[in-house]
Amino acid sequence: MKAILFLSLAFLKKRKRQTIVSTLGFAISVTAFIVMSSIMFGFQKYFIQQVIDIEAHISIKPKEEIAEDRLIRRVDNESLIKALGSRPKEKDKILGWRDIMKRLEEHPEILGVAPHLESKGILKYGAKEKPVSLIGIEPFLEARTSVIERFLEKKNLSSLETHKDSIIIGKIVARDLGITETGKRVVLTLPNGQTKIMKVVDFFNSGITNIDASRVYIPLKTLQALLERVDEVNVLIIRIRDVKRAEALARELRAEIKYEVESWQKAYLNFLKIFKIQNMITYMIVFAIITVSAFGIFNIIMMTVMEKRKEIAILMAMGYSSKDITLIFLCIGLITSVLGGLLGFIFAYGILEYLANLDLELEGLLKSKGFILDRSPYYYLLGFVLSFLFSLIASLYPAYRASKLNPVEIFRSL
Amino acid sequence: MVLLELRDITKRVGQELILKRVSLRVETGEFIAIIGPSGSGKSSLLYIMGLLDRPTSGTILYRNEIIEWKDAVINRLRNQKLGFVFQFHYLIPELNVLENVMAPQLKAGRSYGEAKERALELLTRLGLDAKSKRQVFEISGGEMQRVAIARALANNPEILLCDEPTGNLDTKNTQRVMEIFEELNQEGTTIVMVTHDMSLAERAKRVIEMRDGEIVADR
Repeated sequence: MKAILFLSLAFLKKRKRQTIVSTLGFAISVTAFIVMSSIMFGFQKYFIQQVIDIEAHISIKPKEEIAEDRLIRRVDNESLIKALGSRPKEKDKILGWRDIMKRLEEHPEILGVAPHLESKGILKYGAKEKPVSLIGIEPFLEARTSVIERFLEKKNLSSLETHKDSIIIGKIVARDLGITETGKRVVLTLPNGQTKIMKVVDFFNSGITNIDASRVYIPLKTLQALLERVDEVNVLIIRIRDVKRAEALARELRAEIKYEVESWQKAYLNFLKIFKIQNMITYMIVFAIITVSAFGIFNIIMMTVMEKRKEIAILMAMGYSSKDITLIFLCIGLITSVLGGLLGFIFAYGILEYLANLDLELEGLLKSKGFILDRSPYYYLLGFVLSFLFSLIASLYPAYRASKLNPVEIFRSL
Repeated sequence: MVLLELRDITKRVGQELILKRVSLRVETGEFIAIIGPSGSGKSSLLYIMGLLDRPTSGTILYRNEIIEWKDAVINRLRNQKLGFVFQFHYLIPELNVLENVMAPQLKAGRSYGEAKERALELLTRLGLDAKSKRQVFEISGGEMQRVAIARALANNPEILLCDEPTGNLDTKNTQRVMEIFEELNQEGTTIVMVTHDMSLAERAKRVIEMRDGEIVADR
């Protein structure tokens, strides 16, 4: 093997310019792979983690009536079809929710269950109004089923327990209403026309824009009283031990419970699908970059093989086997990709370090300061393995061609 | 002692028969010159003797053992028992003078240090020690051919096969190369040399003349 390395390195050293260009090509592709993976998966993992922390792992709610079932068709003059809506047949509530909760809490995979009453409402502060999603919660039970407290700026969840007119509002809701500190009083208006003055006791800041821009928590009993729905809830949220098992467990619960059982994966299916498409597009771009680098390697090795026919012939005359010749040219490709990979690590580390320290306010699907990065060494390893594999594939054919040269034909042709 | 033996060797290239049932015995310590006009089959015979080319039919024996045409066997013999010197030096330009002589030794499994030591020893013997670090393109044609000889001798071959080794050299360098061959032969290295030049062939101990793919004289 030392003879193979000795010759591969000699061929590489003498072709400095081509070696540098192809090494840089691989370095750029490895850098692109690592940086893009870190940004993309950093964002996606953070989003999913926040969702898992804030939202129910599994939620139970009344089945939505399909609009089609509520249509009445009437045919007039044999051609005209009119569709008229009928009233919903089922009430938006969970009957016997305490019994359901009790049963669920006995399940070994379930950590906690909490009741919600969810509704729409409008918050008014001064002249400003904002539609919000109201969630009536029991703070003690809520703390067991989500990590809501982690997202509260003042960690003041217990205020909902002690003060029935207290309200926790999303950070963006507060910003839009112009509320900058707790203690302010807002007017809450409900769909039935009831209004109540509530005191802001905390801000909720999950980082997920659409949640922070709409969500409001108030005590369950207060919301039940305002909506005149005493002791009614319309959602049960469940926290489980293994979040990855949410869909499987939801399937299991569907067989036992007559209400709709939805896992977080199903609730956020659209996002997960978008992430998949996003990953596909990103990897297509990265693969295109790596492929171009691999073609660079292919080109250089093929050129070397064509130019070095007589050197290959003399190596064979010295006793180098076809396998040795193949290995020499494979090594040229692999050394280039290893050097490129290592250089790519340095570039990627530098870029990620820069991005991590960037003071930037980003607000899209997520609200964050700077880029959310996943700096796992796994992406470095994967980038390295991919470039190594691509370079191996790119070097195989020229190396094979070199090994099939016939030394006698070469000596005769010179 | 018969070192290399060819029995009824035939070589066909396309429709053309370039070697016709050639038989030849090379004994230890011989210095053989193969002569003949262009196209007579001299180089083809040399390539088959050097196991670079496979005969269409016939048998090759090394030290009375039939050579099996297997990659491992052929490559080991090429690397450790045979040495080649061609008309053109075929030095590897990516390697310097010393490294060119080290290349076959590293293939034989010698360490870098051992290979370097042996290469320096050979280059010193051939008067090239001062140029061991030079790049190939920095030395003269005669020196390149001497480096090629050093490379061929690197693994102590039993037979040195030379195809028109002085064909590209001037008279002075030709003399120098021939003197080296004679010295090596006196020390026991068997030499088989293909040449056009009768005056050089006369310096060999045995002259084989070829014509139309056959040996027509062996004296």
